[in-house]
Amino acid sequence: MLAAAFTDFMQQVVSGLASGGIYALLALALVIIHRSTGVINFAQGEMATLSAYIAWALIAHHSWGYWPAFAATLVISFVGGIGIHTAVIRPVERGSVLRIVIVTIGLLVAINGFVVWQWSGEPQQLQSPFGTDVYDVGGVVVAAHDIGTITVALGIVLLLGALFRFTKVGLALRAAAVNPEEARLVGVRVSWMLGLGWGLAALLGAVAGMLTAPTVGLDPNMMAAVLIYAFAAAILGGIDSPIGAVVGGLLIGVLLNMLSFLSQYGMFDWFTEELRLPMALLIILAVLLVRPHGILGRPEVKRV
Amino acid sequence: MIRRRSAAVAAFGAALAFVLPAAFAGSTADPGISATAVVIGGTSPLTGPAASYASVARGANAYFQFVNSRGGVNKRRIEYRIVDDAYNPAQTVQAVRRLVEQDRVFAVFNTLGTESNLAIRDYLNQVKVPQLFVASGATTWGRDAAKYPWTIGFQPSYAAEGLVYGQYIARARKQAKVAVLFQNDDYGKDLLASLKLGLGRSGSKVVAAEAYQVTSSDVGSQVAKLKASGANVFCIFATPTFAIQAYVFANRLGWKPLVVNNAVSGTSNIMVLASEGGKNRLVEGTVTTTVLKDPTDPRWKKDAGMKQYRALLAKYAKGANPDDVYHVYGMAVGYETVSLFRRLGATPTRTALMARARSISSAKNPFLLPGVSVKTGKGDNFPIQQGQLQRWTKGRFVAVGGLWTSKRN
Amino acid sequence: MTPREQRIFGFAVFAAFAVIVLVLPQFISDFRARDYAYVGIYLIALLGLNILTGYTGQISLGHGAFMAIGGYTTAILMAGNEQFGGPIPSGMQDIWTLPIAGLVAGLFGLAFGLPALRLSGLYLALATFAIAVAMPSTVKRFEEHTGGGQGIQLFGLPELTGSNAVAPADPNAPATFEVLGLTFTQNDWMYYLAWSIALAAFAGAWLILRGRTGRAFRAVRDSETAAVSSGVSLARYKTLAFGISAAYAGVAGGLFAIASAFVNPDTFPIALSIFLLVGIVVGGLGGLSGLVVGAIFVAFLPLWAQGQDLGSVLPDSVIQGDTVSIPILGDFLFKGTSAPGGPAIVYGIVLILLMFVLPNGVGGLFRRVGQAITNRRYSRSK
Repeated sequence: MLAAAFTDFMQQVVSGLASGGIYALLALALVIIHRSTGVINFAQGEMATLSAYIAWALIAHHSWGYWPAFAATLVISFVGGIGIHTAVIRPVERGSVLRIVIVTIGLLVAINGFVVWQWSGEPQQLQSPFGTDVYDVGGVVVAAHDIGTITVALGIVLLLGALFRFTKVGLALRAAAVNPEEARLVGVRVSWMLGLGWGLAALLGAVAGMLTAPTVGLDPNMMAAVLIYAFAAAILGGIDSPIGAVVGGLLIGVLLNMLSFLSQYGMFDWFTEELRLPMALLIILAVLLVRPHGILGRPEVKRV
Repeated sequence: MIRRRSAAVAAFGAALAFVLPAAFAGSTADPGISATAVVIGGTSPLTGPAASYASVARGANAYFQFVNSRGGVNKRRIEYRIVDDAYNPAQTVQAVRRLVEQDRVFAVFNTLGTESNLAIRDYLNQVKVPQLFVASGATTWGRDAAKYPWTIGFQPSYAAEGLVYGQYIARARKQAKVAVLFQNDDYGKDLLASLKLGLGRSGSKVVAAEAYQVTSSDVGSQVAKLKASGANVFCIFATPTFAIQAYVFANRLGWKPLVVNNAVSGTSNIMVLASEGGKNRLVEGTVTTTVLKDPTDPRWKKDAGMKQYRALLAKYAKGANPDDVYHVYGMAVGYETVSLFRRLGATPTRTALMARARSISSAKNPFLLPGVSVKTGKGDNFPIQQGQLQRWTKGRFVAVGGLWTSKRN
Repeated sequence: MTPREQRIFGFAVFAAFAVIVLVLPQFISDFRARDYAYVGIYLIALLGLNILTGYTGQISLGHGAFMAIGGYTTAILMAGNEQFGGPIPSGMQDIWTLPIAGLVAGLFGLAFGLPALRLSGLYLALATFAIAVAMPSTVKRFEEHTGGGQGIQLFGLPELTGSNAVAPADPNAPATFEVLGLTFTQNDWMYYLAWSIALAAFAGAWLILRGRTGRAFRAVRDSETAAVSSGVSLARYKTLAFGISAAYAGVAGGLFAIASAFVNPDTFPIALSIFLLVGIVVGGLGGLSGLVVGAIFVAFLPLWAQGQDLGSVLPDSVIQGDTVSIPILGDFLFKGTSAPGGPAIVYGIVLILLMFVLPNGVGGLFRRVGQAITNRRYSRSK
């Protein structure tokens, strides 16, 4: 009886980690764009969805193989991200925060409309690069795709860490975001760097989209819920910290499943499924209030 | 048969002809009717999270355009105004009032969504504008016809559907332990409640029921809990995206129950997607019910109705995906509307429209399964009350038994 | 103009506007009055949001949630929630629920304003966004008070003014009823109700903003450091702005519930919060006159977006017949914007373009025109 309950418990943990891996990937894209441009991109989820659809269209309508389509999608997304920055973000970059927020919301609405308009709203299936294998570990089932997703997320963290720490481009990216005026003075092409930041975020978003679709199903609104959890993950981990995004995503995935699991056994019995999303948002609020830089971020120094 | 029916219709029409002038003494013709056109309108989510249901309106519109190209109904074109409500009942209210008060439509038609239709029902009944063929499976459209004479539904109710599943499981498995994944709203709850009713005292019972929100990112956690309940029957009362997820997660967990999937997601293209290229064995043997001809089912490849469906969709709804079964629903409801208007004769009125809508006897809708009839009459306000149980076998649906007919609702 | 002249000028413009509002229903169809009633309702919400965002500099992407609180307060007081198992009986006439709707939403606003003190800029936007997203699920969670997803039906309730309207002899004319000896159609009533409150709210906002409080708000917006050093309490004024702003939204939400005669969680979606923020940006932050345009924009843009044909915007070389050619991705069928998703494309693009061409909103445009006129007047009088 207890052993069975423990197996169920572990299964919920694994299932939470699987969801968390998805949140982590999109959270990474949010972090990279915030870190390299100082913007919170409300359209990040829809950009990822669009990328996943492009991959799917290449495979399903144009008979491409999976990996060529994967690679092409990364390239298209990277270029597309830079394009979005040039076309719609740059004109409002110097203005108020409010204008940027509204422009990214306009993007969200337009891209979502475009996906529905172009590919219709019904679900499609995008295959997983890691196959459909599952492993049984003492009664707890783990899917290859979920292990792959979390591994990719951690791999991205390492790559980003290396980029920001060891390369000139990484340094320039940070400089352009933190202090554009001074960066310009020391010869950083700020506008290029901001564009590069958008390109990178779009690229990471494409990875997130292509790894999310096999689990939740390719659907125009597949990222709507994920985006909220990704916000929570990014804030929890620290909006500027890639590793924080991954840890935050996994924590939120597991935490919500735990609440739901324990409510079956009389603990946290006020918790119902309706509260899953509000709980994630409560986490956002709580972290912002108690520790705005998140569990793994560095506190922002305010100059007065 | 046909002749006898038209004789009956003529007799009924004559009877109406005596009643109507008295009711409408001194009044002019109803709004929305001109010498060349009849204008109807309805809301549909063209944007927002439910935009995929817009196919229902597009399918109906394609059929109307086809009829118009043949000279319309009684020399009148059917003009169908589709207005976006983004699946928000407040917007439905404003849009429907606009249709009635500004665009002066003859009838409100095919408006989609339970809550949206609830929000406008009292209004439409107060101003006596027909709320024709509501696109929602709630039971109230038929059950409360006496209180709301201007409202009529179309599809089989979720309650009828759930009952059929319950009765099927009780028959098929002794002492079945049933686990249910359901959407946390009226649609999911109606199905769950009537499933329990259908199981009755058969010894089979629901051992676990997990709700999911439409705002959930995935249902992995719910499916794991359902599996842990030790159930051997898995009922999926979810919309397509979540239904596919349910199959994927259940399969990953190595769970091998008998699956019962609701009609909303029980279509061939969804089954093919859920089977993950043949790797997901759980899909095999899934039981569901349907009233529509499934456009991806090879059975209907040479069927005249489905040939017409594909031709009309290609011509009048450019870019629409013919595999999307919601278009078939739209055409089916469009077909019934056209035949309803046909029987209204040269001077349609709103009162006559509702009278006719409450006395339909149409057995030959080319987009519905053979044998499924659209029927209303005294004490029967549910247009479609039949369906076919079917089982997914080797890549296609095979009928299980004959048509079922719901008597309760 | 001297400040005194400016005040007289402002008053004259306001009076003229009030007269236009009063007589407008005579010149438009009965249904249009209903459309413009919604403009009035949005105006109230925008006035409130503008106090917070335009004058105090705090972004809120969650004002739809405060509207929801007001809307549900009104609906529950009118219909009661005993039918769902809650404690509140039905029976309050619709207009008397509005002050309570404002009060309840205002209290929530104050409560949220306290933690919001610690947030600024994008973080506050994110936090308020979270509130708006969480609202529908939270309403569903407390089904016994709110009716859950089914919502609360108000149409036909005796508490809804005008539900006793009688149809006139002409079946094509709208039903009418009397209030205080005046005859209204339901739509005209909604119009006058919404606009009398909107005008009062406008005057109220003007009174708040022109005095000490308004100066303190602006000081907080322009420089928190300077505001503190000149003795303005940040905590007090920021939470006050949140409270007032939420109270406005609550009243608007109550009116919205009355106009729709129905509330459920889907009637206050996140899109509503976004619309409102867009409305004040279009109207021009920190000004009152432009907000009317912002309200018109919020009420009519979604409708307008449905009627637009994207094909007419794209160059002919891209669209050939029914096909759109996009490099690499190949040919796509062009469907027109009546297809699902189409209106959203138009809407999104319009939002982005507006941020380009009207950085200061319509209000900014007004101010620029106004300055041009006054400048000329000055140069002439020299």
